[in-house]
Amino acid sequence: MSRRFAAPLTAVDTVDIADTPGGARVEAVKRIAGEDPYLVGHYPDFTIYPGVFTLESVHQAIRHWATERHGPGAVAELATITSISFAAPLVPGDTLRIGCDLTEHDDTPATVRAKVRCHRGDGALSARMTLELRIDRRDGDDHA
Amino acid sequence: MITLEHADIRRILPHRHPVLLVDRVLDLEPGSRITATKTVSGSEPCYAGLDEDLPTSAYAYPASLLVESFGQTGAVLWLYSAATAGERREGTLIFGSAREVTITGSAYPGDVLRHTVEIDQLIGDNAFMRGETWVGERRIATLGSVLAVVREGIAAGTGS
Repeated sequence: MSRRFAAPLTAVDTVDIADTPGGARVEAVKRIAGEDPYLVGHYPDFTIYPGVFTLESVHQAIRHWATERHGPGAVAELATITSISFAAPLVPGDTLRIGCDLTEHDDTPATVRAKVRCHRGDGALSARMTLELRIDRRDGDDHA
Repeated sequence: MITLEHADIRRILPHRHPVLLVDRVLDLEPGSRITATKTVSGSEPCYAGLDEDLPTSAYAYPASLLVESFGQTGAVLWLYSAATAGERREGTLIFGSAREVTITGSAYPGDVLRHTVEIDQLIGDNAFMRGETWVGERRIATLGSVLAVVREGIAAGTGS
């Protein structure tokens, strides 16, 4: 495992990106694994994928889009959770399927709005959220 | 003024290492408000496996864990208050929803997160809360509304 940002776990297995007018469609998949970091403590008697880890999965999917769209030095940082809600729970063996519709805004710094719906492998809605992210540049920001 | 140490917090929350993200309660007013801390350390699992030669910004504490730590602080307030009132909450503690959460700063290894949470409304097994997260004199997050839920029978129903 190699990573360019602090994160509780590798929260997406695959990410697919397609350009759309004014933004992008990002789809990602994460198979829930009981041996992933942090899950042993959530909870000890049975494992459930924490709601905030679904948020982490969505964030990592959008990070992939940001580096593809804006280059390897670009980082999508979470600025606002406008709304987030959780429905069907996810347990080990379940598959989380993420669908994000991104709209880019040419602010300074650039921002992106994400409208997201997440489903479990059996089709049940597991979460939906609307997020705002800021695109930061990290090209040598320690050496400026 | 009620204060709680880590051993007390473990008796209230079902979360365990390394996802028990409240270290100490500085002040708790049952049914009303709480202030609690979580110290961020570079030895936590979220800092494992990072590339070499990354800039400082790469070590920002993950927003997901910040929100979790805030939610757990609210859950300590709720569950402690319920126990004080002689109520028992049976079931699995989950994050139900949130609105108007803004993240305006970051925490780094060595920083102490200080959450202040107030209960807005309690409706059965639902607790609506709001609050702020600070690092020293810097407010790094404002959480407009967070709903924690105790839900029964969650372990039985699995999807695929």
